[in-house]
Amino acid sequence: MSSDLRTGTETGEQHRVDQHRVDQHRVELRRGAQYRDRWTTFGARTGILELSERLSAAELRRYEIFQGYDDAFLNKLSPDVSVARWQAGTLLFEEGSYLDLAFFIVEGAVEVFLSRHAAPPPIFDAERTSLFSAQLPLVTADVKAVAPATGITFLATLDFELPASGRAELGPGELLGEIGAMSGWPQSVTARVLRASTLVQIRLPALRAMRRASPAFKERLDAVYRRRSLADHLRATPLLAPLGVLAIGALTEAVELISCEPGEVIAREGEPADALYLVRSGFVQLAQRWGAGEIVVNYLSKGMTFGEIELLAGQTGGFTASAASVEHAELVRIPRLAFDGVLRGQPALEAQLWEGAVARLRETGASRRNPEHAQLIETALERGLVQGNSILVIDLERCTRCDDCVRACAATHGGRPRFVREGDKIANLQVAHACYHCRDPVCLVGCPTGAIRRSGVGHVVAIDENLCIGCQTCARSCPYDAIVMHETGETWPDDMIPEHLRGAPRLVASKCDLCHTSEEGPACVKNCPNGCAYRIGSLEELELLLDR
Amino acid sequence: MQQPRALAAFVIALAAVAAIFAVQALLGEARPGSAMGLVWGGLAAVLMVAAALLGVRRRTMRWGLGRAQDWAQLHVYGGTLALVLALFHAGWRWPRGWLDQWLLGLSVWVVASGLAGVALRKTLPKMLTGLSVEVLYERIPELAAELRERAEELAAAASVPVRELYRQRLRPVMDAPRVRWAFFLDPTGGAASRLGEIDFLRERLEPAERERLERLSEIYQTKLGLDAHFTLQRPLRLWLWLHVPPSLVLLALLAVHVAVALFY
Repeated sequence: MSSDLRTGTETGEQHRVDQHRVDQHRVELRRGAQYRDRWTTFGARTGILELSERLSAAELRRYEIFQGYDDAFLNKLSPDVSVARWQAGTLLFEEGSYLDLAFFIVEGAVEVFLSRHAAPPPIFDAERTSLFSAQLPLVTADVKAVAPATGITFLATLDFELPASGRAELGPGELLGEIGAMSGWPQSVTARVLRASTLVQIRLPALRAMRRASPAFKERLDAVYRRRSLADHLRATPLLAPLGVLAIGALTEAVELISCEPGEVIAREGEPADALYLVRSGFVQLAQRWGAGEIVVNYLSKGMTFGEIELLAGQTGGFTASAASVEHAELVRIPRLAFDGVLRGQPALEAQLWEGAVARLRETGASRRNPEHAQLIETALERGLVQGNSILVIDLERCTRCDDCVRACAATHGGRPRFVREGDKIANLQVAHACYHCRDPVCLVGCPTGAIRRSGVGHVVAIDENLCIGCQTCARSCPYDAIVMHETGETWPDDMIPEHLRGAPRLVASKCDLCHTSEEGPACVKNCPNGCAYRIGSLEELELLLDR
Repeated sequence: MQQPRALAAFVIALAAVAAIFAVQALLGEARPGSAMGLVWGGLAAVLMVAAALLGVRRRTMRWGLGRAQDWAQLHVYGGTLALVLALFHAGWRWPRGWLDQWLLGLSVWVVASGLAGVALRKTLPKMLTGLSVEVLYERIPELAAELRERAEELAAAASVPVRELYRQRLRPVMDAPRVRWAFFLDPTGGAASRLGEIDFLRERLEPAERERLERLSEIYQTKLGLDAHFTLQRPLRLWLWLHVPPSLVLLALLAVHVAVALFY
C-alpha cells in the first residue's frame, strides 16, 4: 500500500474519530440541558449553580437519607433523584404552588415564610369537609379561647410551626416540600435559599417508593408530619376543632398515619370497628352490600371521617360500610381508646358527632333508595370526576353541535385545538376529552424533561412545548385521553436524546391549559353561543347541572 | 346576559316601541318620511348592523370580545326588534319601490329563517341527546364505513339464519349514512321491530351464534344512531344557508337604501 493511500486512510479515520467526539460532545450537552430543565422547580435554570448527573447507588448512599437501601433499589430511584447546588436568594417554591418533589438539605440553609396570605388558605374543601358546618362559628370561638400563649402561631394548614415572626430557618438534615408533594396539596409556605446550599431533590415516585420500602423512612416522614403539622391539621378538622391543646397533643401521639395504594381496602363492612379514620388526602369510597354485590353509597375527600357512627353507637355489628382508597390516599387512624379519650368530658363534641353520624346515615340511605345517585357516585369515582379541579362538561340538550368551543380553543392556541368534543355521557351531560387538571395528576410522573407541570401558583397543569421531547409518556399515563400528540412539521436533530428520536418527525404533547395566561378564562366556555359549556370542580357541581 | 333577562328586556322594548307607534299612528304620522318614521328606520338599521356583528364576533374568537352567548342573544332579539322597527318605518304598508320591497321582503325572510333556526336549536339537541350514541358530524361517514366492515365480517362467518337476517333486514341500513325523515318522528329509526325479529331468532341459536347475533345487533343499533345523528344534525348546519346569504344581501341593500335616503 502506498504511503499516500496510508496517509489518506489515516486522515479519513482521524476525521471520523474527531467527528464522533464532536457528536458525543453535542449529545452530552443536550442531555445535560434536558436533565437540568427537568430539575428546576419553575422550569428555568435560574438559581442552580451546579446540578449532578444521574447518580449511582454508591453516590446516593453518601447521603444520609438514602442509607439502608440496597443497590438495586437505589438504581431504580436514581432517575428521580438529583443533587443541586442552589445560589443564595433563589426562590425554591412559592406559597400556593404545587410541587411533585421534596428537598433534603445537605449543606446550607433555607428560609420558609408566609408571603401571600395573612392566614394561609384552608387546605380542606370547606363545603364538603364538614357535616358540622353550621357549628363552625361556635367551634372557632372555642378554639380561640384555648389558644396557648406560647408565641407559636397555630395556623390551620401550615406544614411548619412558624414562630410569631412567621419565618423559620431549616438546616442540614431537614426535609421540606414532602408533605405537599405526597398529599397533592399546595405548598403552604414560600421557601428561599438563604445562602448557597446543596439540596438533594427527590421526585414523588422516588418518595413513594422509599416510604413503601423502608419503615424507617416512613417513620421519619410521619415524625416530621407529626411534629410540624399533624396537630394543626387535626385542629382544622371541624370534628376535632373544639379540643384543647393538651387533648390535641395527646391525640397526636396516639394516632397512626396510613398511606394507601390505589384500591386498597381500609375497612370491611362487618369487621370490628376499632378506629375513626380521617382522610388527609385523596379519596375514599364507601360501599355497602346490596343484593349479591355492592353499592357505592358515598365518598370521602380530605378532612372527612368515617367510623364515628360505629364508635358512637357501639352495637352496629362492625363497620357499616366498606372503605377503600380510590387512588393514593393518606389517612389518620384514631384508635378507639384515643377516640373515647377525646370524647370524655366533651358533651358538645359528642352531640356534634351524633349529628354528623345522622347526616351520614341519611346520605347513605338516599343512595340506597336512589340507585341513580349511587350510580352517579360510582361513575364519578370510576371516571375520575372527583379528581378534577376543572372538568369541561357540555349540556347536550342545549348544544347545537356547532363546535364553536373547539374553534375558539384552536383560535387561542395557534390553530390547534386542545380538546376533542367527544367523551362519556352522563344523562344529558358530556364529559369532554379535555384535561381535568387533576388534584393528583399522574401525567406529571415520569416526564423526562419536566415539560408537563403545574403552572406556577394554582391547579393548572400545563405543558412547556419547548421542553417537550414527544416521548408520549404523559399521553399514555393520562387516564382520560386528554393529552394528544401533534406533529410540528419539524424533525429532531442528529444529536437528539433519546437516540431513537434522531431524524424522526417532532411530536409535541398538547392539552388544555385552561387559557390560564388569559384574564378572560377558558375560551371554550366564553365562546359557546348557547351557554352550554361548563367547567366543574366537584361532584356537587355536576349534580347541580344534572338537576337543572 | 342570562336568557330570561334578555327576553324581559326584549318584551319591555317591544312594548315601549309599540306604544309609541300606536300614538304615532293615531296622529296620522305613520309613514317612512315623517320624523318618527326616520327614527324607526335609523334604529332598525342600527339594530340590523348590530345583529350582523355576530358573524364578526365568531371570526374573532381569539380576541374574546365579550361572551358569545350575549352576542347570540343580541343577534336574536335585536334582529327581531329590527324587523318590527322596519315595519313601523314602513307604516305597516307594503312599499311601492322595488328596492324597498326587496328590503322589507328580505327582512321578513331573514327574521323568519332566524326564528326557525332558533326553533331547530331548541328542539333538535334534545332529540339528539336522547340517542344512545353521541358522535361528531364529520366523523359519521368514516364510522359508518367501519361499522359496515365489521358487520360484513361477522355476517360472513355466521350461520345461514343469521346471514339471511343480516342480508334481508340489517344490510340495507348499513349503507352510507343518509337522511331519513322518519328520524324526526322516531329518533330510534324504528329499531324496535327489527330488534323483535332479532330476539325471535336469538332463542333458536347456539350460544356462539347468539353472541355473533348480539354483536350484529349492537352494530345495527349503533348505525341507526349514526343515521339519526346524520339526519338531525344536518338541519342544524344547513339552515344557515337559508339565513346568512340573504342577510348579507339585506345588509347590502340596506346600505344602498340609506345612501339613497341621505343623498337623494
